[in-house]
Amino acid sequence: MESGKPLLEVRNLNSVFPSNGKIVRAVSDVSFALAEGQILGVVGESGCGKSTLLLSLLRLIRYPGRVESGEMLFREKNIIELSDREMRDLRGKEISMIFQDPLSTLNPAFTVGEQIRESLRLHNIVSSNKLPWPFDGLRRAQEKERVLQIMNEVGIPSPMDRYASYPHQFSGGMQQRTLIAIALACSPALLLADEPTTALDVTIQAQILNLMKRINEDRGTAIILVTHDLGLASEFCDRIAVMYAGRFVEQGTVDEIVENPQHPYTQGLLNCRPRIGERDQTIRPIPGNVPSLANLPNGCAFAPRCSYVKEVCETGPVPMFETDPGHLNRCLITSEYRRQPDWDWGVVVGRERA
Amino acid sequence: MRSIKILERVLATIPIMFGVAIIVFFFIRLTPGDPVDIMMGQGGAISAGELDRLREEFHLNEPLHIQLWYFLRDAARGDLGYSYVLKQPVTSLIAERLPATIELAVGALLFSLVIALPIGVISAVRQNSWLDRLSMSTAFLGISMPGFWLGIILILLFSVQLRWLPVQGRISLGTGFQERTGYFVLDSLLTGNFAALKSSLLHLVLPSITLGAPVAAVIARVLRSSMLETLRSDYVTLARSKGVAESWVVIKHALRNAMIPTITVVGLQVGILLGGNMVIETVFGWPGLGRMVVKAIFDRDFPLIQGTVMIYAFTFVMANLIVDVLYTYLNPRIRMQ
Repeated sequence: MESGKPLLEVRNLNSVFPSNGKIVRAVSDVSFALAEGQILGVVGESGCGKSTLLLSLLRLIRYPGRVESGEMLFREKNIIELSDREMRDLRGKEISMIFQDPLSTLNPAFTVGEQIRESLRLHNIVSSNKLPWPFDGLRRAQEKERVLQIMNEVGIPSPMDRYASYPHQFSGGMQQRTLIAIALACSPALLLADEPTTALDVTIQAQILNLMKRINEDRGTAIILVTHDLGLASEFCDRIAVMYAGRFVEQGTVDEIVENPQHPYTQGLLNCRPRIGERDQTIRPIPGNVPSLANLPNGCAFAPRCSYVKEVCETGPVPMFETDPGHLNRCLITSEYRRQPDWDWGVVVGRERA
Repeated sequence: MRSIKILERVLATIPIMFGVAIIVFFFIRLTPGDPVDIMMGQGGAISAGELDRLREEFHLNEPLHIQLWYFLRDAARGDLGYSYVLKQPVTSLIAERLPATIELAVGALLFSLVIALPIGVISAVRQNSWLDRLSMSTAFLGISMPGFWLGIILILLFSVQLRWLPVQGRISLGTGFQERTGYFVLDSLLTGNFAALKSSLLHLVLPSITLGAPVAAVIARVLRSSMLETLRSDYVTLARSKGVAESWVVIKHALRNAMIPTITVVGLQVGILLGGNMVIETVFGWPGLGRMVVKAIFDRDFPLIQGTVMIYAFTFVMANLIVDVLYTYLNPRIRMQ
C-alpha cells in the first residue's frame, strides 16, 4: 500500500461559489493523498465544505460554483484537465458517489433495477454490443443478470421481485442499499460517501457501514467518507481529516486524531462527546459559531473560538505543519514548532509554504 | 387493476354530465329574452295564436320542471332535441360542426407543444440567458394578447400582405375535395388528394397559431419552472455522477419528471382550446361549434346551446381523464400498488 503512487492525490484545492458579489470559499487549500483501498474520513460540521469537496472531485459543483485552483490527480491524471468526455468515463466507472438522502437521490420515475442498470450500460460493463433498441435483448438480459447479482451483494432481499420496484416502494435502508448498488455497479476504484447514514436510523446505519466495510475489504475499493460524526469516522476509517470552515485543520491516522488530537478544534470536538463509563462528566461545547464562508478571518479561521489564541494567529494564513510523519496540524500554537528555540512565525510560515 | 380504475373514472363522468345538464338548463333560461319573440323578430305581424302554437311546439308553455324532465329523458337516450332556428336535430348539427372544432383544437395543441416543449426546456437549461429572457417575455406577451387581435394581425401580415396563407375557411375551392369523416386533413389523406391536403393544412396554420399561442405560453412557463426544479434535484446530480451525458440528463432524468406537473396544465388548457375558439372561429370564418353556439346564444336556441355545452363539458372531462391516465404512466408514485 505504501509503495507506488497514491490512487488520488489532491493538492491545494480551492472551490468557490460567487454569491451576491462576494466569494464563498467552500473548500480552501485542501491537500491529501489516498492510497488504493484506504478509507479516509472527512469530519466537520454541516456547511464546512465537506460535500463541496466530494463534488469537486467529480467536477459536479453546481453552477456558479467552480474549482478555482489546485490539482486533483487520480491515477496521476489531473481531473481538472480532463475533457468532458473523459470526465464522463471517469464518473460512475472509476469514481462514484453515494449521497446523503436516498429518497430524493433516486429518480422517482424509474425502477430501481433500471437505475442500477443505467451505469452498467453507460460504461459498457457487461457487453459492448451497441445494437439499438429493440435489438438489444441479449445485452439487456446480461445486464439484468448482473444487476440482480449486485442487488444481492448489497443485501437487497429477493432481487428478482425488487428489480421492477420503484424507489418509493423501498424503505430508507433499502433505498440507501440501492444507491450503494448504483455506485458499485461498475466496481469503481474510489467511492465517495457523503454522509451515507445520516438519513437512516441507528441499526440500519450499522448495517450500511458494515456493508461498506465489506466492500472495502473484498474489492479493495478506496473510500472517502464524509461525516459530522467523529465517533463513526474513528470506527470506520484508516485516516481522518478534520475540516473547519473549508480547510483541513488536522489530518492523521485514527489513533493520532483520537488519542493525540493537536488542533484545538479537534480537541474541542472530542471534548463535546460523552464518554461511556464516566460519571459526572462535563460536556464542554466549543463556544461561538462557525464563521461565514463568505467572510473568513484573515488568519486562522478558528481563532475567534480558540482558547489558545495568540496575536500571531490572526496575522495571516496558517500553513499545515507536519508534527509527526503523516500527522498534519494547521495550528501555530499547538504545533511542535513553537517549542523550538528559533521559532519565528515569518520563518516557519515562509519555509512551509515554499 | 389500472383498467378498472380507468373504467371507474369513465363512470364518474355520468354524474358530472348530469350536473352540467341541470346547470346549463337553468342558466340559459335565466338569461332575459324569449326564444319565440326573438325568432319572430320586430315584424309584429304575427298573431298571438301563432306564438302560442310555437311555444307549445317547443314545450315552452310547460312548467320548468316538466321541461327539464323532457330534456333529461331525451338526453339519456342520446337525443339532444331540435334546434328552434335551424329546424334540425341538435345531434346532427353538432356532428356536422364538431370535426372542424376538434381539427382546429388538435392543430393548436400540436402547435403549442411543438413550440412550448423546446422553449421550456432550453429556457430552464440556459436560465437567465438572453434566450431565456426573450422566450419568457414572448410567452408573457402570448398570454396577454387577445386572440382576435393576434388573429387579425396574422391575417394582415401573412394573408393580406405576404399572401402566403389563406384568409379564412377550411379549404380552397377547386381542389376536388370529397368529405368523408369531416376531418378535412384526414379526408384528404384517405382520398389521396394531395392538393386538398395541402390546402386544408395551409388553412389550419393561422387559426392554430392564434388559438395555440396563449396555450403554448402557459405550457412553456410551467415547463420551465418545473424543469428548473428537477434540474436542481439530487437525482439529476446522481445521474451526472453516474456519467450520463448532459443531454440525456436533461431529457431522460429532468424532463421526464418535469412533465408531471406540465401534463396537468396541458389538460386544463384543453378547456381553453374548446372554449376560447369562439372568437378565433369567428375571426377565421372557421365553421366549428364555437361560431354555431355563439349564434345559438343570440337566438336563445335553448336545445342547441344545451347540446353544445354538454359536448364541451364532455370533451373537457375526457381530456382530463386522458391526462390522468398519462399521469399514472409518468408518475409511478400514484400508480395502484
